[in-house]
Amino acid sequence: MVFVTRCLCCVCVCVCVCVCVCVCRYPRHRKLISINKIHTGRSNPEFNLRHDWNSLLSDRRELLLKRVSSDFYPPADAFTLYLSMFEKELGLKVRYGADIGRIRAVQTDGDRSYILTDQHASDYKCSVLLVATGLWVPQKVEFVGSELVEGYESISTNPEDYKDQAVLILGKGNSAFETAQSIMGRASRVHMLSSSTVRLAWQTHYVGDLRAVNNELLDTYQLKSLDGVLEGRLEHLVIAQQKESGRRRSGGTKKKKKKGKLYVTLKKYVQNQEGKNNSDVSAEELAGYHIDNFPLRNTYDRIIRCLGFRFNFTIFDRSARPPNSEKAKGRLPGVTAWYEGKNTPGLFVLGTAAHSRDYRSSAGGFIHGFRYTARAVHRVLEHRYHSNHWPSTKLLTTQLQSWILKRVNEASGPYQMFEVLGDVILLRGSHCEYVEEFPVQALPQFSSLSGHEVSNHGLIVVVMQYGKTKIDFLGRTRAESDWTKAWKSNFLHPVLYFYDTLPTEEEMKLRPKGWPLPRSKAIHHMVEDFLTEWDSPISHIQPLRRFLEHCVQSDLRTFYAESCFRFSLTHRKPPLFCQQGYLKQQGVAHGSQLRQSVHDAGLMPTERDTDTSGADPAFPNYLAQAGASVSSGLKLGI
Amino acid sequence: MMWLCISALLLWTESGQCAEMTNTSELIQYTTVDFFEKLHSGKMMFIYFERKVSPTISLFLVELEKSAEVLQDYGVLVGKVNCNKEAVHTYCTDERRLHTAFLFRGGKEFLGLDLDTVFDVNSIVSEVLFAILREEVKYVHTDADLVAMEKAARGQKDLVLGYVQSLGTHEHRSMMEMAYVYGSKYQFILITGGPVLKYLGVNESSQVWFLHCRVHSGLTTSTTSERCPLTHMRKPLSVLSLHSFLQLMEAPLVSEVYEDPSLVPPPPFPYQGTPQVFLFSRLPTKHLDMDTATRLAWRLRGIALLLLVHRQSPAVKTPDEYNAAYRLPEKSLEVKYMTLRNLDDVLELFTNKEKEEEEDEGDNEEEEEEDESDFALDDEIASAVYKNRGSLLDTDSVTQLTSENFHAAVAQSGLTVALFYLKWDAVSMAFLSSFIEVAERLADAEVNDVQMSTVDCGEWTDLCAAEPGSSLPVLFQPITVFPSILVFRPQESAQHYRGMLGSKALYRFIMLSCPASPAPLSSQEEVASFLQEVPHPELAGYKKPDRVLGLFKMQTHAGVPVFTKAAKSLRGEVLTGLLTDGLAEKWAADHTVDLPVVLVFPSWRTHTYPSKLSVSSSAEELLAHISTALLHPVPELTVESLPSFLSLGKALLILFVGEEEDEIGWRQNQMLVEEMRRVVKLGEGKMEPFLACWIHLGHTPAGMSVLGSYLGSMPPLPALVLTHLPSGDEIYRYPPNTPIVAPSVLQWLQRIEDRTESPAGLLGEDSWPPAEEFYDFLKIMDMQEPGSTQQQMPKKEEVEEKEEEQVGDEEEENVDDFGTNYNNSGTNYNNSTTTTASDVTINMSTHHQENGVKGQEIEVSFKRSPWPFSGNMTRVTLMMELINPNKVC
Repeated sequence: MVFVTRCLCCVCVCVCVCVCVCVCRYPRHRKLISINKIHTGRSNPEFNLRHDWNSLLSDRRELLLKRVSSDFYPPADAFTLYLSMFEKELGLKVRYGADIGRIRAVQTDGDRSYILTDQHASDYKCSVLLVATGLWVPQKVEFVGSELVEGYESISTNPEDYKDQAVLILGKGNSAFETAQSIMGRASRVHMLSSSTVRLAWQTHYVGDLRAVNNELLDTYQLKSLDGVLEGRLEHLVIAQQKESGRRRSGGTKKKKKKGKLYVTLKKYVQNQEGKNNSDVSAEELAGYHIDNFPLRNTYDRIIRCLGFRFNFTIFDRSARPPNSEKAKGRLPGVTAWYEGKNTPGLFVLGTAAHSRDYRSSAGGFIHGFRYTARAVHRVLEHRYHSNHWPSTKLLTTQLQSWILKRVNEASGPYQMFEVLGDVILLRGSHCEYVEEFPVQALPQFSSLSGHEVSNHGLIVVVMQYGKTKIDFLGRTRAESDWTKAWKSNFLHPVLYFYDTLPTEEEMKLRPKGWPLPRSKAIHHMVEDFLTEWDSPISHIQPLRRFLEHCVQSDLRTFYAESCFRFSLTHRKPPLFCQQGYLKQQGVAHGSQLRQSVHDAGLMPTERDTDTSGADPAFPNYLAQAGASVSSGLKLGI
Repeated sequence: MMWLCISALLLWTESGQCAEMTNTSELIQYTTVDFFEKLHSGKMMFIYFERKVSPTISLFLVELEKSAEVLQDYGVLVGKVNCNKEAVHTYCTDERRLHTAFLFRGGKEFLGLDLDTVFDVNSIVSEVLFAILREEVKYVHTDADLVAMEKAARGQKDLVLGYVQSLGTHEHRSMMEMAYVYGSKYQFILITGGPVLKYLGVNESSQVWFLHCRVHSGLTTSTTSERCPLTHMRKPLSVLSLHSFLQLMEAPLVSEVYEDPSLVPPPPFPYQGTPQVFLFSRLPTKHLDMDTATRLAWRLRGIALLLLVHRQSPAVKTPDEYNAAYRLPEKSLEVKYMTLRNLDDVLELFTNKEKEEEEDEGDNEEEEEEDESDFALDDEIASAVYKNRGSLLDTDSVTQLTSENFHAAVAQSGLTVALFYLKWDAVSMAFLSSFIEVAERLADAEVNDVQMSTVDCGEWTDLCAAEPGSSLPVLFQPITVFPSILVFRPQESAQHYRGMLGSKALYRFIMLSCPASPAPLSSQEEVASFLQEVPHPELAGYKKPDRVLGLFKMQTHAGVPVFTKAAKSLRGEVLTGLLTDGLAEKWAADHTVDLPVVLVFPSWRTHTYPSKLSVSSSAEELLAHISTALLHPVPELTVESLPSFLSLGKALLILFVGEEEDEIGWRQNQMLVEEMRRVVKLGEGKMEPFLACWIHLGHTPAGMSVLGSYLGSMPPLPALVLTHLPSGDEIYRYPPNTPIVAPSVLQWLQRIEDRTESPAGLLGEDSWPPAEEFYDFLKIMDMQEPGSTQQQMPKKEEVEEKEEEQVGDEEEENVDDFGTNYNNSGTNYNNSTTTTASDVTINMSTHHQENGVKGQEIEVSFKRSPWPFSGNMTRVTLMMELINPNKVC
């Protein structure tokens, strides 16, 4: 199913191509591994999106996947159902059945536009093209005999078809393990082979790595139950099929036309490789002949390739083709930090295909990540084509601390797209501008992308980060609780970077290893929290306040009205909190006034200043005396 | 008791041997005359009346003689009267007194001590001193007694608490001698048992504790805790040890030095011989270092002196690897350096030398740490909220609004007051309790049509953000200030409460919000009641409301909507009424005003003389006029009222008056304020730049520290001060000896203008830099993991690529080669991008065109891999590398 739609952004110049092959066919075993956590104990819709990995963003908060499925790992069909519901309820204009086969760019009068041609040779023209075609071309590796291998995209998903068979799976990702898991109850042996070792998502914090939901085979391997995992380079494999004729003496007459067993050997043992018939391998050419305990010396009934997918570059004409990404073996299109194709202005890549920016590090390849990066692109377009600034919230500087705490405690974008999307706070003295979920790699271009200027007060960037050191992930020292060692936090925690000016592109490029941002003037880590609730007065809030005070170079403490009264009379200006509260007649009174109030008309109950931290230390005696006294009610001029 | 008997026995046998010496003793023998003479002179005397001589008694007499010398220093005469020579009445005759020695004081017998309790020097001295100090030295039994003592002593005196296993011992004597000397400085407490020992964690031997109840400047812990922090004396109790211990308690907790430890002199008298511990401080972590030092100093108190060496001083030469040093002056002057991981290491260094007591120390520490965390919050409101964290709020009286019930709830009630809060915002939480208090008060007063409600914006983020989303209308702008209080009425847009965040102010606001605004007045009676009556009996005790009345010829007058708009925004603060048509005309005629007019009746003036305002073209303008008309010309400045007067931007001529104790004082103050009014009147236009006002220190105690900071000390009252001059920060004080009368005040103001007066003080700085240094993570990371925080050096292209590849997919671990060297030497010869997760990074040239991977030059780098890269390329590329995971290589 291919559909063309005008996208979320409602920018009239754009056409967006989306392929939904993925959910219609994949995962083959029809169980999504993106979690659908309905019960979080919270009613905060923003917070709940932290634990809803499937829903898309829209202006309708309630349009969530939980409406179609209550399963923690929902069936894949629930997602297609969700998509059609999404389309219907939002009244999205989608054209189905248009199979875009060619995309080219044309330059007219300095304006670049893209022309898309579908299977009926109809053209669609636009100046902004959003490509969200995902990754659906199966990744293959060429080696001798690779045609004997079945692909994940076409294998049988009926476990009975694997009964008593020895199966070799090439690949160790989620699709490979998902396949292994579905057949291990029927197959005699399941072996998994790829060049890298198994990477567990719960250790790497990368949801694209092997998820625990798929890892049953690790158990059967470690408990020696005939399954196993191996490393080796697939390019050096040779797969050969046993000849039918070779089975004569073993009563082959009984079995009717059984498919020949598959041998695995190595390229280096196979002689005369050119012009060789694949299924024709002599005994001397088998690895087991050379290495008597070669692990793959037994034959297999099936060999299945589960090596993932790649972006379909073929539909792009030279003029419109984004380059291959540097990461991910070039399987993805290379894009800028704001997801515009490198060398293809006006062409943006969204969705899984845009994963090259955060490949193997954040969640940009998955719905719960790219839903935010897509929104970021929408905001870029809003500014570029409609001159609408990125949405921002103007805050009093005294409210900044609370607002940051609100964001780190609920925001789903920076939480899912950790180290990629961050909140940018533009300091402006007594107030600040809070810009949410900006792609931090694009920070050097912040002003031109967002329309917001950076003042000489500087800016703060808030991102969520995991610790970078490899630790024993279930060991005793896995978590840090001392706020003074917050920078050693291993789990996701907020990190604030303070810059006096925007970092340059060069600085961004040369940022310290493992850092999402360049070295800044000051850095603050908020210590990781077991509950991911960063709201403890001593461990989280006060250190944050001191950091913010350092950034804005001002005392941001809060004071009761009485202290503000004192400061206002003894200074021309009281501290910021008093300026923005007390002087606007919104001072904070001490508690419990009503219970102890003296019913003297027009008189304040006399209250003793109990907290001397803000008091002038020179007059403790007088204060004490005053505190002891009771108002006797001077009724003057009333 | 057992011990007592044994020691008595020992002493007896011992002194029996030197019985002969007793005969040659020079124990003062008093004659009857001497005795009475001394007695009547009021001297303190400790006398034994000797009749018979038994071994016990002669033994006692020896001890008595020894004690004479000691007690002489304490002003006690010690002697005996030989009854055999001349009988002193009753003392020599009464048989029962044969076994008793007597203490006389002030011409009278003060106490008789049985020879069983005073049997040797120690017991004599301790018992006698104990008797003399009976009033001063307290005795506690239970922990509660001790708590009471601590409470009483708080802020006044430190306590010295001694536990002696039994009275009359050497320890007891040492305690008493010290109590005699230091009794006025410290409160001495003696215990010999009881449940209090449990709190102190006493084991067998006699011990002393020092309770820091007087607030020390360097000590931040004692102010919050119920209990005074303790320091335990580790040395055995003796006069000398106790003396030096008490001296040490007076030593500064942490001394700061800017010299290298080797150059710091050993401790001066009287701390000589006390070990010194040096910690090093760096500028960026100055405050933290000080905290650490203070914490350690507390633990080392009484054992060693702590010095904080500031590394920023160029004189400090100690290598960076060391973070601590110490010196034991008793042994040598050499300073030993060390690198500490843990503060306990230092403690061990000194406590290992001592013996015993580790347990009670543990207890104390915990307490101190707890205190410290309590005090760690330096924010006034945050720390108040934090201290109160134990008491849960009873939210029964408020409705909790959610995104779901919000609209229904607002529609239901005539007036909904909603507090939008965040639970991590201290001001929100401080105010929440006031808010609940108001709700309870309203419920008690049976005000039923007001719904008090809260919105937790940490939870109902969509509601607080006023997201459109649903079909229901959005009633307010997104909330970005916390706490915010909004007032909702059905079918109306929300009104922001902009008053003080306190229960009184909010309560008054709500009560004043009840009547319509403006209230349509349709009869003479209604007008009269509007002007005179308090809208709700509950408000009787509050500040009288200001009133504003709009008079228009017709309901349809163009000014009516303007006035109505202004009235709406004044709702809750000012009572407003609207009078139209015939009634308005009649009223205007009666009061000789022309319609339309807005009459302002400030609460401080009788309603017969309102201010008359013309109807402005805009509500904002009208509001500005109204608020100006409401301002008192010579106001009292209070915590509440100051902001509205400060906003005038005038210089403040403040009269500080004290609390009046009687009618006379009250009248005096009244006259002074009256005089201020005369100043304004007399000065006329000249007074325009000044706001004459007064602060009553009884109503506004905070004014005291203001006055003090203006003048540098607390002057006698009344005091007249001129401050907040637009021209500068100078503060002038009206000559204290001149009576405050209008003409001379004006002259004084003139002199100030002429610059012939000299200022008495200055206003403080306008800038409020952070009160505390922030915790500089970057610096700490730089220190602990240098390099990891630095920007990378610009590199060549290939290196860059390699790095990116490192996170690429399908990477290669250390793959072993099956074919050749089974166990190792080898090898990772791959074509195509290869990276290991951690150790080896190898990129090799390849012509692997698939997937668009570019051919690259070989780039090999071993990060940690121990083996060298070697091998025959052509041969190797033919190999298939498989690792056999079963046989780990």
